[in-house]
Amino acid sequence: MNLPDLPLFSMLRERMSWLHQRQDTLSQNVANADTPRYVARDLKPLDFDDALNAIHQGTSMMTTNVRHIALTPSRSGAFEDHETPDQESSPNGNAVSLEMEMIKVAETQAQFQAAANLYAKAMTMMKTAIGH
Amino acid sequence: MDFSKSMAVAASGMRAQTDRMKVISENIANASSTASVKGGDPYRRKIATMGSTFDRELETNLVEAGKPLSDKSEFKSQYDPGNPTADAQGYVKLPNVDSLVEVMDMRDAQRSYEADLSVMDATKQMLAKTVDLLNK
Repeated sequence: MNLPDLPLFSMLRERMSWLHQRQDTLSQNVANADTPRYVARDLKPLDFDDALNAIHQGTSMMTTNVRHIALTPSRSGAFEDHETPDQESSPNGNAVSLEMEMIKVAETQAQFQAAANLYAKAMTMMKTAIGH
Repeated sequence: MDFSKSMAVAASGMRAQTDRMKVISENIANASSTASVKGGDPYRRKIATMGSTFDRELETNLVEAGKPLSDKSEFKSQYDPGNPTADAQGYVKLPNVDSLVEVMDMRDAQRSYEADLSVMDATKQMLAKTVDLLNK
């Protein structure tokens, strides 16, 4: 058994990479707050069922030789993003509302902290189990 | 996982806003720069532009300030017959700069800059949180 392959850890990891990518997208939006014709983008929300299924139904290949490379069923690609115009748009066609973006940034930051804290807690529990 | 991408994007936004601020301050400083020769044009207001450029190394779109455009609106004129640069009717051409508009623009640039700064702060804290996992 590999510690990072546990469902709890891999789901938290998935969540953290989603939040990380969302932060990238949001910083792009804020930086382009004055660029003409730029429309705000956001990621598709992370679906719990999908994430759970991805972990449980993923199959991996057997490694019978030391030179085999283990394939982990984790998702390696980027999450999808799409245009989500904010409520207000300016005459130059820019549809980014700084307020909305700041709320999203704060949200992402808080959720990331929660995920990281949960990861740390799970780690501590593992340590308790092995008696450290 | 690396946060350098969102940091770089926020930094490029800040750089673009700084360049915009430079253009604005140029306008304000030259708000009463008249022509030095008779019949010449006074200072013409500049407009800051922005656009995105794709950065191959980071594989993301960065923001960049473009070449400032000149404002094509008409110059203001003031009756001042004693001025050596005045025309035959006694009018002196003044720059097409409206200080009020410039101040508004400046506030806007400042607001965007601050937003970029807080995104950077948030990213930094997320990064710190990740590094903190090593301490557990």
